[in-house]
Amino acid sequence: MILEPLPPKILSVRRIPNADPALLRAYGADPARHRSLGLVTVDQDDPTYVALDEATKHAPVDVVFARSFYAGSAHGSGPISGEILGVLAATDPDEIDEGLAALIRCLEHDARFYAADATRTTAVFPHVITALGHYLSAQAGLAPGEPMAYLVAPPMEATIGLDAALKAADVRAVKIFPPPTETNFAASWLTGSLEACEAAAVAFAEAVVKVAAEPKGRYL
Amino acid sequence: MVRSWVGRGSLIPEPCRVNTRQGRLPHRPPPLRYRVAKGRIAGSMRLAATVRNVRYTFDTVGEVMAKANPPKSGDVLAGIAARDAVERVAARAVLANLTLADLRNNPAIPYEIDELTRMVEHSLNESAYAAVRHLTVGQFREWLLSTAVDGMRIRSVSPGLTPEMAAAVCKLMSNMDLMTVAVKCLVVVRANNTLGLPGRLSSRVQPNHPTDDVDGILLSMREGLSYGCGDAVIGVNPATDTAESTAEILTAIDKVLKKNGCPTQHCVLSHVSVQMRALDLGCPMDLMFQSLSGSEAGNKAFGISIALIDEAWDKMKHLGTARGPNVMYFETGQGSALSSAAHHGADQLTLEARCYGFARRYDPFLVNTVVGFIGPEYLEDGPQITRAGLEDHFMGKLLGLPMGCDACFTYHARMSQDELECLKVLLATAGCTYLMSLPVGDDIMLNYQSTSYHDISSVRRLTGRRPTPEFDAWLSEMGIMDGDKPGERFGDPRVIVP
Amino acid sequence: MSRTRQLIDALRDQMGGSAPLPPPPPLPRVAEPPARVYPRRAEEKSAYAREASAHTTALLGIGHVGTRYATDVVLQFQAELAVAHEAVGQELPDDWAGKSGLISLQSRVQSHREFLLRPDLGRRLSDDSLGVLRTAVRRGVDVQPILADGLSAVACMQSGLELLAEFTKACEARGLSVGTPMCAKFARVWLEDEIGYEVQAKVAAILLGERPGLGTGDGLSAYLVYAPAIGKTDGDRNMMSNIHARGTVPKVAGDRLAVLSKAMIDQRTSGVALDLSHLTAELGEAAGRHHRAPQERVRLVEVQS
Repeated sequence: MILEPLPPKILSVRRIPNADPALLRAYGADPARHRSLGLVTVDQDDPTYVALDEATKHAPVDVVFARSFYAGSAHGSGPISGEILGVLAATDPDEIDEGLAALIRCLEHDARFYAADATRTTAVFPHVITALGHYLSAQAGLAPGEPMAYLVAPPMEATIGLDAALKAADVRAVKIFPPPTETNFAASWLTGSLEACEAAAVAFAEAVVKVAAEPKGRYL
Repeated sequence: MVRSWVGRGSLIPEPCRVNTRQGRLPHRPPPLRYRVAKGRIAGSMRLAATVRNVRYTFDTVGEVMAKANPPKSGDVLAGIAARDAVERVAARAVLANLTLADLRNNPAIPYEIDELTRMVEHSLNESAYAAVRHLTVGQFREWLLSTAVDGMRIRSVSPGLTPEMAAAVCKLMSNMDLMTVAVKCLVVVRANNTLGLPGRLSSRVQPNHPTDDVDGILLSMREGLSYGCGDAVIGVNPATDTAESTAEILTAIDKVLKKNGCPTQHCVLSHVSVQMRALDLGCPMDLMFQSLSGSEAGNKAFGISIALIDEAWDKMKHLGTARGPNVMYFETGQGSALSSAAHHGADQLTLEARCYGFARRYDPFLVNTVVGFIGPEYLEDGPQITRAGLEDHFMGKLLGLPMGCDACFTYHARMSQDELECLKVLLATAGCTYLMSLPVGDDIMLNYQSTSYHDISSVRRLTGRRPTPEFDAWLSEMGIMDGDKPGERFGDPRVIVP
Repeated sequence: MSRTRQLIDALRDQMGGSAPLPPPPPLPRVAEPPARVYPRRAEEKSAYAREASAHTTALLGIGHVGTRYATDVVLQFQAELAVAHEAVGQELPDDWAGKSGLISLQSRVQSHREFLLRPDLGRRLSDDSLGVLRTAVRRGVDVQPILADGLSAVACMQSGLELLAEFTKACEARGLSVGTPMCAKFARVWLEDEIGYEVQAKVAAILLGERPGLGTGDGLSAYLVYAPAIGKTDGDRNMMSNIHARGTVPKVAGDRLAVLSKAMIDQRTSGVALDLSHLTAELGEAAGRHHRAPQERVRLVEVQS
């Protein structure tokens, strides 16, 4: 089966109700506004960026820290390191709980990679965010509430896929992340109307599947 | 002679020396304690069970033990088996409600007439026994099976168990029960190799020859080593039971092993008295062997006694050539006591357990049951031989022995080659310490079918097991194995220099 | 359900859903594995197998495929196993003894399965046979030979009569009187004790099919006991095994057994107590109490090409 969902695994979720100011500052929070932190590690980084953004739509939290780990979850520093550490900050612990609940819901039911081949060795992330939260909107230079296609695949697949996506609908690239990223994938963020973003994501996924099935085209 | 089990690294604290049984002195026969107890148990109220409104009563604990045994042709031959499956269940129901203390109080052969019974009684670890004496056999089975009870816990109570207790709980267990508990029991021993570590499966190379032709023995041994076999022992059953012949075979094997730097042990399985004379001749001998029986009379038929094996062990500790500390090798097998009419009316499973009670006195390096060798009059067919192999392995491990198995059949037993192959995989899965190995499994001297050189590497691959660490490294060095896969010289006997 | 998941589900359907991938390219032809191992002709044997066959009948130098046997070895092994099982499974026909000119006896065993499971019954004569023995048989002889099925009726029927004849001839040549020829069905070794006692023989000699080994269902063993009577043990007996075409042939075995019988009568004992040291010339390697003749392994499966 192709395009089989590969659900992310949440490897750890912890809360610091009353964090030390030095720690807050080191992780990009503002001790004047933030007192509590929510931390999560997951074995898929891009779905987590999406889920962190989702959290900002459901609770008064800020994403103060989110970094992918080098070479991906297969090379984690420990069994719960995963591929990413994401940190939410808020004024009190209840808000953190609300934010984490939204984040977990998103990871469990929405954002995920898919297998681009039958052997589940190529992963593709053709995700459509219907309305951005204030985390990714700031990163992308878009307004909160706008739609965005969040497209990730390995280098060759992502490059061919991006070209297909740009040509499939009336979308524009707001950011392109050529390889190598921390996890050695390549990614791009496209925006346009919601329908255009959806058409772009589908075209991206289709192109990735085809490259994975026939990596050498007609040449070899 | 009272032996302290604490000395062998058991987890039991120094045993409580306060004697809880009035009037009993160590080293002396106990008073009428068990006979009194026997009278109490033998009251008809206790040895009875009702199945589908039919009441089954039993006269003695021995009768309960015999009738609770799974079907064995040997028990039928002895006239002590349950008459049908329902009576068997009734006996098991009674057995399940006896306590371990009841079993200690009712040994299979009376204290007065059997030195094995006396030895077990005197050397039992009282503090380990006190920890479990109150359990019924049924509860003991459940305790052994429970997830929280690991090998260390089992090992800690093992010195407090009499062979009869091991036999009793065995009768309440299914084949998979036996495997589930046995695989928990780790028994690690060392001579030149370290045997019994987790994830390991060892093998004896058995290069027997009908006329003890030393060249023929060495040719077969070299082939066995080239298949990765032989880390338990190179063990030859001699056709001629003389000290000179034993010494000649050992010397020849020793030379080849040394020349090739092969880390294993050697042994010639002649009578223990013959091996003692061979030691006097000054030959190398890593392990000393003897077949054991489960009663004093059975051992007498084998020409041995506790005193003789004590002497042999002592001699071996001084003159043996293995690094040690474990230097003895014993073989057993259900039915041996009955075959010399030395069974005292006890069932063959219980008598087999008593062999292990005997063997554990000597901290042996190897103990194996030769499970299908004795013939169909004791174990009739594939299911009985399979069952007995798993039983013997379980009981040996439970009693703290590095238990291996010669999974085999004679050609007049009703067992197929396929069934035998299955048994080997079951045993390995149950954590069996070692199996035998011969060319095509065919013993050209003893005329029976056992495990082949090819089977050992196959079973290891199937169950993800490796030989002893020392031997494993040597196999890699020789190019015989490449990790867990056959290496470039696998099966090429010329890799072993003659 | 999430919007992205709906989109991707639709795309999956559009792209052929969970349909299998296009067929893989045709596999290259598998090369025949090298011919190996248990060879058809001696000159094809591995060097190691040739060297080994001079010293042992164990199947050595047979190679391997992965960790298992080559097909050729499997077939040889299964043929040998079949021969052994066939020998064990075959029953001596009730009329065989009569047709062969022998007195027909039977132990207390009633069926073949009972024979395997009840050695105690195979050691005692049935009441009928005891009656026959008391009326129709010569008594007070030096040697009473008893042909028997033991664990291989095949061996008994194959070379039993020849061994019996050679043994009888060899005994008579040494001046020993020989009892009425007889054959016992469902017989264990110790049956000779009761028979020998009943006919008042000095030596009882049971010649019976031995427990088959792999590929050898035709071997006979002989167990001799002096002053036979119920209660004799194995220590009281002398035995010779592997009596067949590839081991000790019946002619030689008959001679040696006669030498043994004569020695027993001369020394009035048998088993452990019997001194054979002065007879090594006549007995050869059979001077030991438990002599097993070496044998050779025969290829059993031949495929016609």
